[in-house]
Amino acid sequence: MSIALDQVTKRYQGVPVVNDVSLNVRQGEFLVLLGPSGSGKSTLLRAIAGLTEIDHGRVSLHGKDVTHLTARQRQVGFVFQHYALFRHMSIGDNIEFALRVRKVRASERVARRKELLKLVALEGMDDRLPAQLSGGQQQRVAVARALAHRPEVLLMDEPFGALDAKIREELRRTIRQIQRELKITTILVTHDQEEAFALADRIGVMHQGRLLECGRPDDLYTRPATRFVSTFLGAANLLLGYRTSRGVRFDARSAESPREIVAVLRPEEVELATDAAHVRSNFVGHGVVEELLFGGAVERLRVRMSSDGPVPVAPGNDGNGGLGSLLEVSRTLPEQRQFPVTPGLRVAVGARRIHILPTPISSFTVVAGSEDATRELTDSPLLATLCTRMQTRVGSQVGNGHRAPPGMPVLATGAGSADAARWQLQNGATQLLCVPPSAPLPKHVIIHTLDPSARRATLAVAASLLRHVAAEAVYLVIHPAESLEAERAARMRDLLDARSSALNDHGLDMRTEMRPGDVAQELQAELARYDDSMLVLGTSDPASIRWDWLANVLEGTPPRPVLIVNSARLEAPVEA
Amino acid sequence: MASSWFRQPSILPGFGLTLGFTTFFLSALVLLPLAALILKTTNLTWSEFLTTVLDERAVASYRLSFGAALVAALINAVFGFIVAWSLVRYEFPGRRLVDALIDLPFALPTAVSGIALATVFSPTGWLGVRLQEQFGVQVAYTWLGVVVALTLIGLPFVVRSVQPALIEAQRDLEEAAETLGAGPFYVFRRIVLPAVLPALVTGFTMAFARGVGEYGSVVFISGNLPLKTEITPLLIVIKLEQFDYNGAAALGFSMLLVSFVLLFTINLAQAWSRRRHVGAGH
Repeated sequence: MSIALDQVTKRYQGVPVVNDVSLNVRQGEFLVLLGPSGSGKSTLLRAIAGLTEIDHGRVSLHGKDVTHLTARQRQVGFVFQHYALFRHMSIGDNIEFALRVRKVRASERVARRKELLKLVALEGMDDRLPAQLSGGQQQRVAVARALAHRPEVLLMDEPFGALDAKIREELRRTIRQIQRELKITTILVTHDQEEAFALADRIGVMHQGRLLECGRPDDLYTRPATRFVSTFLGAANLLLGYRTSRGVRFDARSAESPREIVAVLRPEEVELATDAAHVRSNFVGHGVVEELLFGGAVERLRVRMSSDGPVPVAPGNDGNGGLGSLLEVSRTLPEQRQFPVTPGLRVAVGARRIHILPTPISSFTVVAGSEDATRELTDSPLLATLCTRMQTRVGSQVGNGHRAPPGMPVLATGAGSADAARWQLQNGATQLLCVPPSAPLPKHVIIHTLDPSARRATLAVAASLLRHVAAEAVYLVIHPAESLEAERAARMRDLLDARSSALNDHGLDMRTEMRPGDVAQELQAELARYDDSMLVLGTSDPASIRWDWLANVLEGTPPRPVLIVNSARLEAPVEA
Repeated sequence: MASSWFRQPSILPGFGLTLGFTTFFLSALVLLPLAALILKTTNLTWSEFLTTVLDERAVASYRLSFGAALVAALINAVFGFIVAWSLVRYEFPGRRLVDALIDLPFALPTAVSGIALATVFSPTGWLGVRLQEQFGVQVAYTWLGVVVALTLIGLPFVVRSVQPALIEAQRDLEEAAETLGAGPFYVFRRIVLPAVLPALVTGFTMAFARGVGEYGSVVFISGNLPLKTEITPLLIVIKLEQFDYNGAAALGFSMLLVSFVLLFTINLAQAWSRRRHVGAGH
């Protein structure tokens, strides 16, 4: 591995800006770190260069641990957003800087300088001063300068950020060409997805300090794993669907099925037709064309789906109180010619291809005794954070219906909450979240499964939660104090499996611990160790939950957030 | 074309008006008094003028005034830079307090700082005793005392001119040099210093100019021994007290001339180096 990052974490005043990032970059690979501003991508890049010290983790370059080496010792090439050329030195002196520092002979320096200037197509500019060059030319010089000492790794921090579109594209091509020619391992940081697609062998998407996903551009585009990546890389309609025996359905009538999923529908995969019979792909519903923008080769439009149609995952983007969702559609010229539309036209909508997000949490439904109580719960720090970061929908419901709502029911902790939770689990809930309305975000999440068969589902849900809440996770295995040797060995295997599966399947790095004792007592002790702790409890049989004990956690003081995963239902095959 | 100068776009009302104010203020506050000084000097004949100006006592005072001011300004250039550096680059408790303290020599009546220094450094003073005992060095009533006083007075000039330049100096330049393999000293010499040099020279010049003209803080600590620790401004005051107005004017004029030549040269040198470093693009 050319560059290897292992659990790199950087905090500023206690707040993690880079949170537990592990990443490997192959020799000669071009990796683009993509993310919105403030996602920690630049900090991560600086950490690799040695310009920023990290609080935790390891950085290796070419198999050598460089975590404690200075930038000078790491010998990488670094290109800054604002060029950082030495203004009082000529272009030639700028490029020769690294060679002069290394006391390279003059004749060799000149040869290298000529070679580099040729590489970046700036021959003959040796004697100019940086101020006499255009922005694009200055950045070319910066690239040449960074390559002078033949580094094995090239790091670029938004190198095109300060340039206008045309020059940016030209420079992009130059960079790609140079990178291919030199076969130099490169990491480039940008917030521009177009740039990422144009340059990357692999894209790593960062969000709030975490490396959410990393993969080939086409894989990330067609098969994203998270809501954030699906909407950040290209446009996407996120829809709540229901897995039924007849495949995925979007209409609310299918909501009777408890198997809720999140589907990604790209604007270009939407098909419009005059009526349902003419839809050649999977029929989604009817809608009315609301907005139409001609954009040259593609036409962009928004279709408002009728209220019995699909439900958007994220609320608020339709600005109409959830009455039918707005669907983003883009159509090519042939499609436009085949079926011209005008605003106000009623159309049938089909989906040529949908991608189902592998997320175990599709939506939340707050269940409480009154409107005020549901609102209070919706605004609770944990739920508010989860739904903005996961970009998910929060519905509300006053009182219990005849069965658990689709998605994950959310209850308030406090008196009677244990009984309410029990009712939900008995009436079809696959997962359940109990939140103290005013509790702060959890910092310590304790994961425990009542039986090993629930582990897979529990870890998936916990990982999904932890991806969006910066908390420390510990997986606790508890065995009776006088258990047999064989029993203990089995528990130990369980623990090791859990750790590797969490890391490999979900990128979740958690602490694991095995303790003798009583489950209820140990969990309670662990919860009490921290102020901001939370429990994720997995089971394949809700009947095995000791409700008297859980009532202590939910109704005690201070109450702790509890997430219960019922793996039996989550993993059950779809009923035919 | 003169008329086109008056039509330059600007946010302040009219070039004509501002130029008028500039001329008026410069005339009333600087040129007029200086002209009076020169006029007064012309009361003397050439030979009288030369005897006054080249008098042994006067020449010794020039040497002390300009020499001590130069040494003090050099000391300030080094340590003022370090102070500015630590104020800009480090975060430490009491940083704001230290920052405010820097300006104190500006605000304090110079006589007060002079008396304070004399008290501390006099042979019976708290520091003076120790310096005398430990190193056999006497500060008060020697040229060293003059340097100490001028250093105190000149410090804010260097710090205050270097500070903004350091704040503005791009950190990524230093980081770039570092990733290219340069060690701390190399980075300082080749990257940091060239960036702040113009500001440092400005600070040095101002500290020097102030030192040459300083009177209040020096007279208390220098001891004012003719030919040894007598500064030119003091000599002028002495001449005034003896009602030798023409002699005082002559000394003042010679100081004015030397100072002006020095400052003008430094300014020219700076303008030249700025053109060379930054290039035509700016």
